[in-house]
Amino acid sequence: MKRVLLFVVVLLSLVLSACGGAPASSYPEQPIEIIAPANPGGGWDTLARTIQVSLETEKMVSQPLSVTNKPGGGGGVGLAYMAAQKGTDYTLVVYSPPLVINNINGTFEGKSYKDLTPLAKLITDYQIIVVKADSPYQTLEDLLNAMRADPKAIKFAGVSSPGSMDHVAFAKIAKAAGIDPKQLEYIAFAGGGEATTALLGGNVTFLSTGIGESVAQLEAGTIRALAITAPERLTSDLLKDVPTVKESGYDVTYEIWRGVFGPADLSPEAKAYWEATLKKMVESPTWKAQLEKLNWRDAYSPSEEFTTFLGQETETYRALLTELGFAK
Amino acid sequence: MDIWNNIVLGFSVAVTPFNLFLAFVGVFLGTVIGVLPGIGPMTGIALLIPITFGLPPNSAIILMAGIYYGAMYGGSTTSILVNAPGESSSVVTCIDGFEMAKKGRAGPALAAAAIGSFIAGTFATIMLMILGPAIAQFALNFGPPEYFALMFAGLTVVTSLAGRSLVKALLATTIGLAISTIGIDLQSGVSRYTFGNLEMLDGLEFLVVAIGLFALSEVLANLADMRQAVMERLSIKGGLWLTKEDWKRAIPAFIRGTLSGFFVGGLAGAGAAVASFVSYGIEKSTGKHKEELGHGAIEGVAGPEAANNAAAGGAMIHLLCLGIPGSGTTAIMLGALLMLGLQPGPLLFQQQPDFVWGLIASMYIGNVMLLVLNLPLVGMWVKILDIPLYLLVLFIILFSFLGVYTVNNSVQDLLLMVGFGIIGYILRRLDIPAAPIILAMVLGDLMEQALRQSLIISDGSLGIFVTRPISLILLILAAISITNPYWGQLGAFFRRIFGQKTAA
Repeated sequence: MKRVLLFVVVLLSLVLSACGGAPASSYPEQPIEIIAPANPGGGWDTLARTIQVSLETEKMVSQPLSVTNKPGGGGGVGLAYMAAQKGTDYTLVVYSPPLVINNINGTFEGKSYKDLTPLAKLITDYQIIVVKADSPYQTLEDLLNAMRADPKAIKFAGVSSPGSMDHVAFAKIAKAAGIDPKQLEYIAFAGGGEATTALLGGNVTFLSTGIGESVAQLEAGTIRALAITAPERLTSDLLKDVPTVKESGYDVTYEIWRGVFGPADLSPEAKAYWEATLKKMVESPTWKAQLEKLNWRDAYSPSEEFTTFLGQETETYRALLTELGFAK
Repeated sequence: MDIWNNIVLGFSVAVTPFNLFLAFVGVFLGTVIGVLPGIGPMTGIALLIPITFGLPPNSAIILMAGIYYGAMYGGSTTSILVNAPGESSSVVTCIDGFEMAKKGRAGPALAAAAIGSFIAGTFATIMLMILGPAIAQFALNFGPPEYFALMFAGLTVVTSLAGRSLVKALLATTIGLAISTIGIDLQSGVSRYTFGNLEMLDGLEFLVVAIGLFALSEVLANLADMRQAVMERLSIKGGLWLTKEDWKRAIPAFIRGTLSGFFVGGLAGAGAAVASFVSYGIEKSTGKHKEELGHGAIEGVAGPEAANNAAAGGAMIHLLCLGIPGSGTTAIMLGALLMLGLQPGPLLFQQQPDFVWGLIASMYIGNVMLLVLNLPLVGMWVKILDIPLYLLVLFIILFSFLGVYTVNNSVQDLLLMVGFGIIGYILRRLDIPAAPIILAMVLGDLMEQALRQSLIISDGSLGIFVTRPISLILLILAAISITNPYWGQLGAFFRRIFGQKTAA
């Protein structure tokens, strides 16, 4: 069924792109596949589809684009698929910090971002620390003081495994505040909904998660934000009064970046093409409208910079995960 | 806000020709998806997400919701006619539905399923309208201990309903629990039983195991028996409609199924499959004709089919009021809505009244459409029985492979499915029930997480499960349901032991 659907979509796009008239460049000469290394509906899938929609709406790519889901292994199945595309030019993939984390904790069995060609960092989200609206903790410092007094009494929830984003983000703050990150009582939930329910039901003291996960409850006023991990305050009405961790006196930021990659050994021609196209895309009205709609923040940086950034990320995570005992 | 104004607003959105058309497409596709064993509402909606991109959010949700509850209607059809559940939520319908079909009462079984679905679907929609926000509030009282207790209760009910043999049912449950431990453990990040295989890191896909154990093993069993005779030809004696006696027995089951399904699926977010099992358990323990259950009692179809539709409606409450998906399918719908720029959550009713009420109105309309689509066409579904066995087998194989492949685009999944088909065939020959395997597999993972989350919260004390009232009540229910069906057996067991003693 999906095959047929795909065929129809491809056929339609072919017809449509033929009507639009193709630009003169020789690359791309084949349809492009964007891999979302997770199930439909999640962050990676949303990004992959947003890229597809933006590029198609703006008619920036002369070839049809399709999104394929390769879920499994925290992105590992997608990474294995990309490894098989080594040296080809027509498959892109989207990733975020688990690309680095799952390399360090051994999930990817040695594979890393070095088995891909980083093309651009596109967007970023930050971590937010939220408590129930009627929680006695008014500031991040209140919370940290309680943890200093008795680290076991404070349980916190997140949506990823221990040693992954939600856990590590707060471990970073705790470490800066002089609390042994190994003492933290972290409870992993399978989804933002479950974790939020646990928070609202008073089963955990606070929740450490991506801002995007908590927007609905913040708007409803059922939860309260204590801090965000952005370098400076955000400008939206909802979040402009939430202090940064830095303001609380700890020099900690934490970024949930999302970017686009090609397979390893991407040809220089294709690499140049995607660098230019993605740069054009992030400036397009369609892309900007999508960011607004999805509450995402632009964090564009080109291939070179992105690659350097990934190197730094690997160092930071390795240090943190080693301390927490999750590095392999 | 005036409720009538809201309803008028809702219908003004839902009855535009385009949205009516989409509601029809949704329920029609939903029924087809429900009928086909391999393709569930999750797969169906996931496949349609790209199509909804071009639609306004209103229209997109009307289409997706139509598929969702349409599948709940259609899922029963193959359960009754070929003993291959179209959905996990129709697994339990096989038990009595197929027995009824064997007795030539496929028509009344299908009609009972459609009517039960209609009653429950309409009830859930009304509840969504008037109780939504309040129910969401109560569901917030469920923390990990309550979830654990709830799932524990769900599993014990299945184990108790599955067994002529306690040992075989428990064995099946244990196999399911073992399967559920495959993959990365959420609480520790350690991968278990994956043998370094990346595709195993997320555990085995539910659909792979379910289709293997149910659909493929059915095919194998049929092929094995083919030399003796063609598969039992299920001829239809009597009418397609319910008799007076049927009505008298089905209506209380409709009501019980609707209420239990709505509360289990809606309140607890336990999903349509659990809701249908719970409803069957209720019928088995309280119904007037409980001794007939398992041998083609209409209650065994009416109750669970009402329950799974009520649960689908209940899951929509979770999705809309809390922004928290109450089932796998609504989780996918949540993702799709986010992509459309809508954030479901407590504020949705106030900020997007046209969206919420438009959806509610479309659910009324869709339920009527489904009744019309399913009831007069019951005869058409029954005709599936006239399809020659080889064609039917081919279709089951075709849709099994198609359905499993579309989930992950994985060839390994296909191999696993065939493996489970063979295991399912062996289990069938050993008379070990497959339903507990499936439920234990689905619930095992969630249950383990809830157990361990609870224990972190309580610093390791098991007392947390009995000091919290909701959890305690659920555990007591579990204890009653697991012991109840076996009192007789236990009695017989002790009599045998003592009997042997006296004999010796």
